[in-house]
Amino acid sequence: MKNGLMAKAILLVVILATICVAAESEKRGDVTDGSRATPIHLIPLLVEPIPDKEPDQIHPGDEPVLPFSTKATCGACHSYDTISSGWHFNAIDPNVAPGRKGQPWIFADPTAATQIPLSYRAWPGTFRPEQIGLTPMRFLEHFGRQMPGGGIGEMLDRTDNPDESLRVGITGQLEINCLACHNTNPGQDMGSAAGYAIQVIIRGNYRWAATASCEFAYVTGSTKGLANYDFRAPFVSSDLKVKPPIVEYNKGVFGHNDWVRFDVSKEMPKQRCYFCHSNVDIIDGKTEPWKADEDVHIAAGLTCVNCHSHGLQHNITRGYAAEPCDSNNILAVKSSCEGCHLGKNSTTPIAGRFAAPVPKHKGIPPTHLDKLSCTACHSGPWPLSQTIRTKTARAHALGVAGAKPGDVLPHLTYPVFAKGQDGKIGVFKLFWPAYWAAMTDDNVIPLNMDAVKAATSKVITKTALPKVWDWPSLKEEDIAKILTLLASQVSAGAKPVYIAGGKLYSLDEAGRLASSEHKMAAPYLWPIAHDVRPAAQSLGVRRCEDCHSTDSPFFFGKVWVDSPVQGKGGAFIKMMDMYEAGGPVYVRVNWFFKLLIIGVMTLLIMHIMGDLYRRALLWLAKKFR
Amino acid sequence: MMGQTSGAKAEERPAPARFAGMSEFFQRFSLQFRVQHIFLFLSTITLIVTGIPLWCLGRPGYSWSQAVVNAFGGIEEIRYIHRAGAAVLILVSIYHLYYTMFTREGRREFIQLLPRFQDVKDVTINSLYFIGLIKHRPSFSRFTYYEKFDYWAVYWGCVIMIGTGLVLWFPEVAAKYVPWLTYELSAEVHADEAILAALALFIWHFYNVHFNPSRFPGTLMWWHGKISSEEMMHDHPQEYYKTVLAQTKSKGQKAEPQNGAAV
Repeated sequence: MKNGLMAKAILLVVILATICVAAESEKRGDVTDGSRATPIHLIPLLVEPIPDKEPDQIHPGDEPVLPFSTKATCGACHSYDTISSGWHFNAIDPNVAPGRKGQPWIFADPTAATQIPLSYRAWPGTFRPEQIGLTPMRFLEHFGRQMPGGGIGEMLDRTDNPDESLRVGITGQLEINCLACHNTNPGQDMGSAAGYAIQVIIRGNYRWAATASCEFAYVTGSTKGLANYDFRAPFVSSDLKVKPPIVEYNKGVFGHNDWVRFDVSKEMPKQRCYFCHSNVDIIDGKTEPWKADEDVHIAAGLTCVNCHSHGLQHNITRGYAAEPCDSNNILAVKSSCEGCHLGKNSTTPIAGRFAAPVPKHKGIPPTHLDKLSCTACHSGPWPLSQTIRTKTARAHALGVAGAKPGDVLPHLTYPVFAKGQDGKIGVFKLFWPAYWAAMTDDNVIPLNMDAVKAATSKVITKTALPKVWDWPSLKEEDIAKILTLLASQVSAGAKPVYIAGGKLYSLDEAGRLASSEHKMAAPYLWPIAHDVRPAAQSLGVRRCEDCHSTDSPFFFGKVWVDSPVQGKGGAFIKMMDMYEAGGPVYVRVNWFFKLLIIGVMTLLIMHIMGDLYRRALLWLAKKFR
Repeated sequence: MMGQTSGAKAEERPAPARFAGMSEFFQRFSLQFRVQHIFLFLSTITLIVTGIPLWCLGRPGYSWSQAVVNAFGGIEEIRYIHRAGAAVLILVSIYHLYYTMFTREGRREFIQLLPRFQDVKDVTINSLYFIGLIKHRPSFSRFTYYEKFDYWAVYWGCVIMIGTGLVLWFPEVAAKYVPWLTYELSAEVHADEAILAALALFIWHFYNVHFNPSRFPGTLMWWHGKISSEEMMHDHPQEYYKTVLAQTKSKGQKAEPQNGAAV
């Protein structure tokens, strides 16, 4: 009897504890009463808390004025841990399926003749940042400008570099900047000289970055050069050159109880997305000055989040057809092209969401729908006889103060038609990796950039570098010299190689430079879906010969090959080489028929003229007989 | 030699006396031949008239093609008409194969249409005649070398057009059995051969049968199949004399149907 009561009591305690824990993880901001109206966010600004203590509120008269912590401020009502498992923040998590490969971070350095794809996700063709010597902090210095925080930004202390480990105490971690997406105020500053991006990549002010980005705060100073710095204490230093980060809040934003009203919403404006997900084409060596056309969905009144949506988990839908299988996001089914427009893969009717037209694809042989993705006909710019160069926000720091204008590294090109991981032909962006590596048997592993730069700086002089951030004038003998210098950097049994322009360069046993094909030299492609063109601009809308002709870009377009090696850049490969199709027979047969027309008609017309001539002669003879 | 004429005098030479009293017209083409020809040209002209706007549609500089397509009722309608014409052409071709293989008349005609070494000689002689180096025209038999060219050009054209047209019509089926590039190749070849066929038809064939000064403004031989004795004597003298000789031999006997037999 006693044992039975004891067991029931223990069970009751466990149940109650579970309820309490569940209540703890589900904060009041995560539970909706069903209203579609955005709740008013009149909330206190909270500082990053001292461990095991509650966070303090920020008041306008504080000394020093501290930056607010999104983890503490937003996290007071929203489960920060749940949110930080979202797609934008979980690249570092090895348990997250990488899904379809996407745009990598591209480390580009013309002084080292390098542009190499990096990713923390296991996307084929990419390398992990640490493989080239990028610690989390160094990674942020290069790419933190267009990272929303969280993820690697909150793992800065996980490094073997003791200096960086200590610096985290000064710089702080780069928390998720909720305002980067959710702030609807047009004053959200991500790219200006004092905005989010500069705070991260130049000033190292990770703790201050979210504060600097909002419309009611301004941050000056930098953590660079600081030592033994406690951001909570007033800063005293005799070195006038050292200026720590200083926060200035617009005092007018503090209202009752010194609470601040945030203009936040679930339906964030497209501008928030554009800062990291923009694209501009390069025409005649210059970026196009004005982009009037937009994605047809935007033009129709949709916003990015209508399709790329998520719940509290922030597991944002990427919108590709196989995503329901790759991710657990139940929204993925209806957020793909097929989902909205055709209602595919859903047990209930979902076609026509947001007034999406349901296409009949009248007159198109069904095999197209099996072999081509929707994007092949509907996405990207109308294909021309050769691919065009383009820049993206994350690759070229578009929108960030000081971003290099014009045609600079990395060199991206599109639209490229190629087969995706799902076996369907789609449209892609492409770039040709260039990097120094060690090759053992057939394995190629990139070398640490510090070692590479130590070698390249001895060969690639400043005079060889162009004024813009572009390839140096790299001769084959330069490559040979650098490879010779790098020989001491590779392990026994390996040899240094250089990958560029689709070729692998190495030194043979006699020390001569040789180039060869190698799978690691293949271009890196990632599928694109934007901008989606209107149906009246889809491939094949005019006639089948938009693609099925002997001069169509789809098959015979020229894909630009980028290489820093003299004499190798500026070449092209045929589009059909991207999906292993080909055959020059058509050219010969085409010429045969053209010559046949000319030859046969010439003979026939000559025959007619001969007959007429003879008749004329006879008539004249008869007339003047 | 009979059938060999020389210049203007030869043109005026009267028929020999032994041919006096012969019928004025000969039945050159049988009903079967004529019906096939009618279906052939109807389908061919339909295909040309619908095919050209289809090919031009959407190409820069051919904005008129949209108006033509609209006049037909739209792109789907013009495609239906084009394919209907193609179906007729295919049926005529299949029937013609049957006709030339399994009917006596067809076999006879087919054999007559086979190219011979004589045709090469005739081309040479005629070419020299055109430029005045020879005074006599070649003596042609039932089918001249240019009529044989017309026939075999249609054979070639039908094979090419029907073959490539079927690939364009059924690309998935074609893609299963032929290399993937066949659609593009077929589209190019189909268009090129169509241009050749249209030019050959409207320039060459129409000149020979309608527009040359001997026949202008045209002939209805394609309809009634009859040819006058003068025309036959001028254009196909060997056939003429063979026919008349046969008639002479069988005079008074029960007439048997023969090629070009008198009505």
